Amino acid sequence: MANASPDRARIRSYNVGFGDSYLLTFSYPGGRDRNVLIDFGSTRSSGFTPKGGLLTIAEQIRMDCGGSLEMVVATHRHADHISGFAGKSGEVIGSLDPDIVLQPWTEQPELDPAASAPAAASRQTLRARTMVSRLADLQHLAGLVAREVPKLRASGQLSKTVADQLSFLGETNLKNAPAVRNLMTMGGRRIYAHFGTKVPVSRLLPGVKLDVLGPPTLNQSAAIAHQAHVDPLEFWHLAALRAAAARGAVSSGDPIFPRAPVARVISQEARWVIPQIDRMRAEEMLAIVRILDGALNNTSLILAFEAGGKMFLFPGDAQIENWRYALFDRDDSAEIRQRLSTAAFYKVGHHGSLNATPRTLWNGFAHRSETGGPGRLRTMVSTLAGKHGAEARGTEVPRKTLIAALEKLSAFQTTQGIKSRKEFWIDCEFDL
Amino acid sequence: MSVLAQDPGVVRDGRILTSRVAVPWEDLEPGPVGARVHVVDYDAATQTLYKPVPVGPGDFDPPESNAAILADPGFHALNAYALVMRTLGRFEYALGRRVAWGFAAHQLKVLPHAFEEMNAFYSREAQSLVFGYYPRDGRLRFMCLSHDVVVHETTHALLDGLRWRFMRPSSPDQAAFHEAFADIVALLSVFALDDVVGHLVAAEGRADRGRIAKKDTTADALMVSVLLGLADEMESESGGARVNALRRSVLIPPDALILNDERGEFREPHRRGEVLVAALMRTFVDAWTRRLDSLGTIDRHYLDLGRVAEEGAAVAEALLMMAIRALDYTPPIHIRFGDYLSAMLTADTEVRFDDTRYGLRASIMEWFGRYGIRPSSGGEDGLWTQPQLPLGHEGVRLGSLQSDPVEVFRLVWANRGHLRLDPTAFTRVASVRPCIRTSPDGMPLRETVAECLQYVKIPACQLELYGLEVPEGMPPSLQVELEGGSTLVLDEYGRLKYEIHNRLPSTDRKDSQETAQSRLQYLWDHGAFDRGASLGARLATLHRARAGEPALARGEGW
Repeated sequence: MANASPDRARIRSYNVGFGDSYLLTFSYPGGRDRNVLIDFGSTRSSGFTPKGGLLTIAEQIRMDCGGSLEMVVATHRHADHISGFAGKSGEVIGSLDPDIVLQPWTEQPELDPAASAPAAASRQTLRARTMVSRLADLQHLAGLVAREVPKLRASGQLSKTVADQLSFLGETNLKNAPAVRNLMTMGGRRIYAHFGTKVPVSRLLPGVKLDVLGPPTLNQSAAIAHQAHVDPLEFWHLAALRAAAARGAVSSGDPIFPRAPVARVISQEARWVIPQIDRMRAEEMLAIVRILDGALNNTSLILAFEAGGKMFLFPGDAQIENWRYALFDRDDSAEIRQRLSTAAFYKVGHHGSLNATPRTLWNGFAHRSETGGPGRLRTMVSTLAGKHGAEARGTEVPRKTLIAALEKLSAFQTTQGIKSRKEFWIDCEFDL
Repeated sequence: MSVLAQDPGVVRDGRILTSRVAVPWEDLEPGPVGARVHVVDYDAATQTLYKPVPVGPGDFDPPESNAAILADPGFHALNAYALVMRTLGRFEYALGRRVAWGFAAHQLKVLPHAFEEMNAFYSREAQSLVFGYYPRDGRLRFMCLSHDVVVHETTHALLDGLRWRFMRPSSPDQAAFHEAFADIVALLSVFALDDVVGHLVAAEGRADRGRIAKKDTTADALMVSVLLGLADEMESESGGARVNALRRSVLIPPDALILNDERGEFREPHRRGEVLVAALMRTFVDAWTRRLDSLGTIDRHYLDLGRVAEEGAAVAEALLMMAIRALDYTPPIHIRFGDYLSAMLTADTEVRFDDTRYGLRASIMEWFGRYGIRPSSGGEDGLWTQPQLPLGHEGVRLGSLQSDPVEVFRLVWANRGHLRLDPTAFTRVASVRPCIRTSPDGMPLRETVAECLQYVKIPACQLELYGLEVPEGMPPSLQVELEGGSTLVLDEYGRLKYEIHNRLPSTDRKDSQETAQSRLQYLWDHGAFDRGASLGARLATLHRARAGEPALARGEGW
């Protein structure tokens, strides 16, 4: 290689609909480009997602990276971030032969509930296994919930909003087994990272520094399970659902007392309360899949690439609980905040949701500015409005107040601005 | 009627332990459906409505086998009905009057098999108690068969009827109180069954020929055998799937500073509530062991097991009455643990003046003090002080004062100066409840308990009118509600016995300003003014939150 440092960087976001897929390309004077694919998944297509969907996008990625990837990053196991790694599109990505596949520590195969326990598993490992196991249980349940939605819709007792959200969150949290399997075997080396993991990129991406700022391990931050003061595993008190999920009774529909007679005459009290209970049950299910959704988001990798004095920040879907460790809980958090303040590019967390761009982080960005100019902070979001949350409750994705701030104080791009099925991406380029 | 003493996991001689409890007699419709409870056996998971079961005299015995107990939805319905009615009965007895639910209907709907989920809760909007079921180790577990769960949820419903504002955000103490009070009533209700107490004391071969060694009846021994023993039994049934409030409470060591740490573990509402439960449970064991000291011994080293159990159940029952009776002596709004302590001591002194048998009041003062809970009254005895206010009764009709909110409002308004009400606030008498409580010596105590509430809604920029500062970051135009209120306890002649208050803040009272300022800050910090913030959080959410559902970090979201 003629020069050990890149002189240009390009971030390309493909229009996957509701999902993420970013290709980070470093160009070297006199040398070949180096490419990092960060996530590749979708749960809803938009009007301008290319024909052929994720397979077409995979072929485009193949062209854009010149047939090889240095690194694939799967920030976390939500379908809208990894579904493209399954099936034919997954085969295309696999053929690009990434040297490193980077995933969060919660994806370590030895933590898989189906894996046999290591011979001398430490207490820490056992706790981590338990957490991962509970996540898997809840994912199973999410699948059952998603399958039950049509029945709930048919009962007529469910508002369209609740049914849509149940369906969306249920599908997003499905297990994505083929994608997970592919990621487990893809590439030359799999690295399962947490805060502080040193990813060996100096050979693959010369002149580029990579810091992992999240997720913390259970030991690093009990807050990842939202319980700073008790055993973090207590967060998963919904353990009973594991049995429910395993039995599949959530969707069986068979009365639990088959010999007990069913009522023919229905009292007015029963007529009044039954629709209420049906609604309540749907809300309960929604609450549970929301918990799962947040928990999986908080297993997201938070990555900071630095080259030529510029920082490119990719936080996946990390929510505040995940960010908290780096931003607030560590002894050197002030120093980390200071470094983050220099970011030149910010991939907007979790498709622009209300709690994935901590205000402390946002307010700290030194290059925010109301006026244009070469040094102005650049931001990019991959999102699709009307699929997640509700404006009436202030939970819509993307959150309008956040988008307004991004538009006002940064050079902002969104995949919602893509109006072509042929050129189905947006680019953000930097001279380094 | 027969009920499960605790849950199907508590077994004696191979049989699920049942207990007979007294419930008020009524002529039941199939369901059962009575004047206060309407069992609707609907399962939303399978969309099945089971036929209401007819109830006859022969149905008051438990099914003959363990398998029949588990497989008979009719018995489940009866079990839930009996426990709800028993709890209601204990409330009505303690408070000396009928107790209404917290919604506009007379019958609470009870759904013993509402859905497949490890959750049970009271819903004001559905006017219901709903109990889930879930599979574990090859069989279904029914939450409607857990004595403490049914009583816990019933208590939420009853407390909501008596003090509906306790479900609104106010302070760390109020956030903790609903769950803590429901736990206290549920646990004391279980311990008030001498079958259960006897079973726990004698477990693991501790009893021999109806006797138990004295060394097994010390406070430390009973903490392990009875309190943690019941916690173990609960855990064996649920498989650790439920939050074990009893175990978590009992294991909190006494610490007078435990509630003061501004950022500590015990600011979290459920942990904080467990401190209140811990103080009551320690009082229970303390009073019980003192009673046992006065029992005659057998062969110098043994006590009669039956008497040990009876004494334990009697102490639990006395404490249960005390815990419930206190509600009438709490402020109608913004409750703090110290208010509840003073309310317990005062209400108990009024009805049960002679406390020499159990020494409960001294014990409560001691154990609450060890957990840093001091009576709000400030006095050494912890009792609310009698106001000595010469209320004017001109134009007030005494007869109506015992039942009519309009009449009580007239009294309140005529004496607004004495009662230090804010005449510019919206003022309302929310309830008037005549009570006849019976003391142990048989004398009736007639009282009328009325709740008077005040509130103002102002933009934040006008908070200074009430001596308050605008919390950092609060928009000046944000509409802020300030609330206050008093519980007025009148004697049978309409004279004011007690005025238990948490008033609106006022510029001429520094103490009320400080309290209101910290409350305002707490509400702001906890998002109570955010759009969409629910002021009457459903208990389903509360229970899930107990299992750790995350809350949005204040100030970091959009």
